[in-house]
Amino acid sequence: MEPHTEKHHHHILPTKVALGIGGTLLFLTFVTVWIAGFDLGPLNFTVAMIVATIKALLVALFFMNLYYDRKENAVIFAASFLFLIIFIVLTATDLFFRGDVYVKGPLMAAAPSSGSKLKKPWIATPELVAKGKQLFQQQCVSCHGVEGKGDGPAASALNPRPRNFHVSEGWKNGRKVSMIFKTLKEGIPGSSMASYATLHIDDRWALVHYVGSLNSDSVPVDSADDFKKVGVDITQESGGATEVATIPLDFAMERVAVEEPKVITQAHEYTFAEGYVPRPEGTAGMGSQIYQVSCAQCHGDKAQGGVKVKKLGGFTHAYVTTLPLSSEREGMKSQDAFNQVVIQGLPGHLMPGNGQLSSAELRELYQFIRSVNVK
Amino acid sequence: MSNLETGVHHHAHHFASADDEFEASKQGMWIFLVTEVLMFGGLFVAYGIFRGLYPEMFHAAHKFLAVKMGALNTVVLISSSLTMALAVSSTQKGDRKKAVLFLITTFVLACCFLVVKYFEYSHKFHDGLLPGQFFHNEELKDPKAPLFFSLYFMMTGLHGVHVLIGMGVIAWVLRRTVKGEFGPQFYTPVELVGFYWHFVDLVWIYLFPLLYLVG
Repeated sequence: MEPHTEKHHHHILPTKVALGIGGTLLFLTFVTVWIAGFDLGPLNFTVAMIVATIKALLVALFFMNLYYDRKENAVIFAASFLFLIIFIVLTATDLFFRGDVYVKGPLMAAAPSSGSKLKKPWIATPELVAKGKQLFQQQCVSCHGVEGKGDGPAASALNPRPRNFHVSEGWKNGRKVSMIFKTLKEGIPGSSMASYATLHIDDRWALVHYVGSLNSDSVPVDSADDFKKVGVDITQESGGATEVATIPLDFAMERVAVEEPKVITQAHEYTFAEGYVPRPEGTAGMGSQIYQVSCAQCHGDKAQGGVKVKKLGGFTHAYVTTLPLSSEREGMKSQDAFNQVVIQGLPGHLMPGNGQLSSAELRELYQFIRSVNVK
Repeated sequence: MSNLETGVHHHAHHFASADDEFEASKQGMWIFLVTEVLMFGGLFVAYGIFRGLYPEMFHAAHKFLAVKMGALNTVVLISSSLTMALAVSSTQKGDRKKAVLFLITTFVLACCFLVVKYFEYSHKFHDGLLPGQFFHNEELKDPKAPLFFSLYFMMTGLHGVHVLIGMGVIAWVLRRTVKGEFGPQFYTPVELVGFYWHFVDLVWIYLFPLLYLVG
């Protein structure tokens, strides 16, 4: 036998301690199930995770002996959890704050960048105030309340609390027209007041005047300089605000998908990336050129089909044979149907979508395939 | 390396002493457990992301899990962790009879866990609460619900595989304990199998609330 086997590292867990830990673990299991029966909102998750972590610590410290063991083993094990926390937090930060990525430039014809169509919009008119009131009911009441007293349904959850427009003191950016305009455009960092630059500039002007009208104290007068600071040039009738709006990327994508579904199914000019110039219509051999590059690999050099295409993924590797692109096929019956198939692809089939082609290129490609005249 | 006299073990020649060997083996086990945390970590991150993206779906889908079964399995697994810890301390004290008894209890509790899991799984199969394209439940309308069950089966499935492996290594140390290979002087395999088993318990401690309780 070894002379020095019995060292202080060899800790024997006393049976009493083992039973105590086991009992505590069972009790905590009961507690966590019991608490989950109450609806505490987000607190449910926090409580469950705290209880689980206490249980995990008891298991690691006593059943796995870390409490008595050499500290380096505890450090090794704890490091893996540190890694896990970094992994989870950074991934979540990326994913859940992608909305904060902004895209610049006009997205659609009615993008907020297209400047004011009003004359001297910084001067309040009854029409603007009325329009502002209407917009306020859609955009602002959830936080600022129906009467603008800062008592909307969401207000209680916010810190700092939303502004009560009926009180003159304490406005972060002040009550001048230019400053309310700035607040709407940029939001107030550090509070829940977001930027409303996604609204059309005229809608924002209307809101500015409605908010100003809520207070019985008169609105302080702006100088030309005050306006200049927020990008409004009052020497021009429209205010010259031809600012290029930045709007959140996810908002932009939502707008494209929801409000303008046709953008996806049809090739509109404004879906092209900045600086992209479609090739001029009627360029000799353009259709054939695109066909050879993008289509021939699967559909055959003369659209005759019959090419074996390997299908990857799914459960089995299989080969699919393409059909001829004859004029009887749905996607060949009209330019619109053709565009849809090319741009969207055929879901569930191997045909991928290709959103890179301009409407001119799609026309040329369609003409080319029809000219091949596959029977 | 071992002979039939209880717990006599000659350490490998590249270690200065049996103690060195014990400490090195133990540290190796901890490092292995770190890799286990990383493996499960990927799934926990996936859980976090999808839960954050589709909180309503998670809430609706988690109601289809059997909390009672999950809670029962938690009790079973914690009890088995306790008996495992007692098996280790019995071996350390040289009480072979008790060690064998506790190891057998641990093994039986592990079987219980899998039996409960079997009933849970077959119920899910029957109701069509399945991952991805296999999902075909009429009651749970949320189109993203298959994602929850992908996670459910991946997480509990990987954990289940660990339970099976744990049972294998428990059977192995049980056999060697019966043969009298372990005692106060040498019990490294029993202790390290214990670590593995406690780790299996540790993962379940998080899986149970995340999937069954707060989904």
